[in-house]
Amino acid sequence: MYKRTRFYDFTYYNFIGTWAWVLHRLAGLALIFYLSLHIWVINSLTYGEKTFNDVMIFLSSPLFKLLEVGLWGVILFHAFNGVRIVIVDFFKGSLAQKKWFVLLIAIAFVLWALGSYLILSHVF
Amino acid sequence: MNKDFKQTSRSGSVSWLLQRISAVILFVLMMLHFVTYHFLGKGKPVNYHWVMSKVGNWWFPLLQFAFLITALYHGLNGLWSVLEDYTTSKFWRLVWYSLLLTVGMILLFVGVLTIIKLYTLKIA
Repeated sequence: MYKRTRFYDFTYYNFIGTWAWVLHRLAGLALIFYLSLHIWVINSLTYGEKTFNDVMIFLSSPLFKLLEVGLWGVILFHAFNGVRIVIVDFFKGSLAQKKWFVLLIAIAFVLWALGSYLILSHVF
Repeated sequence: MNKDFKQTSRSGSVSWLLQRISAVILFVLMMLHFVTYHFLGKGKPVNYHWVMSKVGNWWFPLLQFAFLITALYHGLNGLWSVLEDYTTSKFWRLVWYSLLLTVGMILLFVGVLTIIKLYTLKIA
């Protein structure tokens, strides 16, 4: 029988790659949960203008706007770390995967700040 | 090859490749989605009339369907690959796989229903 993987088996020296892998999975789990909610919420468009606008007013409270900023961050992390995974797997990026991580996450951070500014500018 | 590994003879390399292909498609669609829905409107909440002015175009339902099916495939396939890492018993793998397939079918149904209903609402 092969040894079962435990979530605390992170005894690798290469900690950037390992933590990128852990966070990529956690972000992915959060996103599939969000996608389910999103498909359900968007279905309210079919019940007409009043229903949809009521839902949108409910979702425009400061709490949901903060969650939206978090969502944008989770999406950007997953998307840009995903670019790194594709570079590592198809373009021999494993030799410089830490540099790719820093570069791509820096770009993601700038996009996160810009998007968050736009989202929050209508709340406060 | 050790006989303990027999049950992994289907290596999953096809779903590995499809996960990366869908990732690249999703990266492009997701960035377009955020720019057009949220950032061109300077972060204001999406309103009913704006969406309804778009749904009548022939390409709109096609694009939404492509987005829906790629996102669902990528999300559920990703969730399955996480579950596969932590589930060794054949019974629980079957249970999880059936559950994901059912959830996927329900979400696909709700999503497709939304797309078709909005399109026919606009065309009628």
